[in-house]
Amino acid sequence: MSMNAENRNAENNYAACPRYEAALEDHLQGLLRGPEAVMLAEHLQSCAGCRAALEDAAVSARLLAIAEPSPDPGVGFSRIVMARIRQQLQTNEGRSIWRPLVSVAWRFAASAAFALVLLVSFDLGRQSQWRSDQSIVAENRVPEIAPDRPDLPANRDEVILMMADTSHGKQ
Amino acid sequence: MAATASALSLPVSRREKGEEERQLVRLAQSGEEAAFEELIRRHQQRVFGLVSGILRRREDVEDVVQQVFLKVFVSLKRFDQRAAFSTWLYKISVNECWDYLRKKKVRPLVYEADLSEEQVSRLDGVVSADQPPASSSDRAEARDLLERMMEKLPEQDRELLVLKEVEGFSVQELAEILDLNVNTVKVRLFRARARLMDVYRRRLHSKPAVPAEGKEGKGK
Repeated sequence: MSMNAENRNAENNYAACPRYEAALEDHLQGLLRGPEAVMLAEHLQSCAGCRAALEDAAVSARLLAIAEPSPDPGVGFSRIVMARIRQQLQTNEGRSIWRPLVSVAWRFAASAAFALVLLVSFDLGRQSQWRSDQSIVAENRVPEIAPDRPDLPANRDEVILMMADTSHGKQ
Repeated sequence: MAATASALSLPVSRREKGEEERQLVRLAQSGEEAAFEELIRRHQQRVFGLVSGILRRREDVEDVVQQVFLKVFVSLKRFDQRAAFSTWLYKISVNECWDYLRKKKVRPLVYEADLSEEQVSRLDGVVSADQPPASSSDRAEARDLLERMMEKLPEQDRELLVLKEVEGFSVQELAEILDLNVNTVKVRLFRARARLMDVYRRRLHSKPAVPAEGKEGKGK
């Protein structure tokens, strides 16, 4: 059995033993029966802290009895609430007429955006591919080893002269 | 409508009350507005008590209670009746209050001035007489004094005391609504009472908080 004579709280008041607080609340409400009630009664005889706390709790109950519960909002209240609910439902219905259109519009916008992204990324991909091809070609370019192109004849006389040169005058 | 009428005319014996309410909930879930209106009528006062116990500002209470019932109506189809309708309703009420306080960033009401000597002696008389004041003006003043004292308590203490002692919620109900263990509620209540008495002594009496010699020596 705890003696708890020096059990005081921050306010220097006597405080109840923590293990008996729930039982003290039950006792205050008149709900404590049987062995628990006997045990608490024995404890109260030897514990000034719990006795003082119980007296305080009883005074607090008297104080709180002054307060009045909230008044009934009245019979009209349920009608007000139902009117508000109906109004809300109508608003939601009004919204629901446009909802399919809004939904289709959003889907269309999303598809268009996706297609645009695809196009841009495809175009960017192609450009970068072309650039890399070009750089590979440039890197791998080998100087051509080929004879210079012969000059083209400018007129008929030069043609004849050219033919004469290539066939060495033979027919 | 006939089904609603039969549900409403069910005998109101305690045993059948629960079943009657479940029937009303089922009807309301099937879209019967009259059944839902009846549910509102049955619970409006306790929801009012619960919300005003948390919010305190009278002007906010009605709006929040309406919002609670609107939410309940919208989500009623999802309610599976595993818990009592009242418990579910009160939990929604508590959540709605917290949301409201968070959105509005409502600060607790604070009474700047302490009580006068005259007020102190009147309240002291109320406590020692163990009887509520006779005249309505005295009762109103005593309530005002109590309200001022309650404002000095931590929010959680004040709520518990108001819901339990003023609005009449049981410890079991409070445990369910606030998602707490029953014993935890009892302990918190008991400590809240002690803190109320601390405020009572500190603010009203300014006299030593230690019990009198006679009391102290009683059990020894």
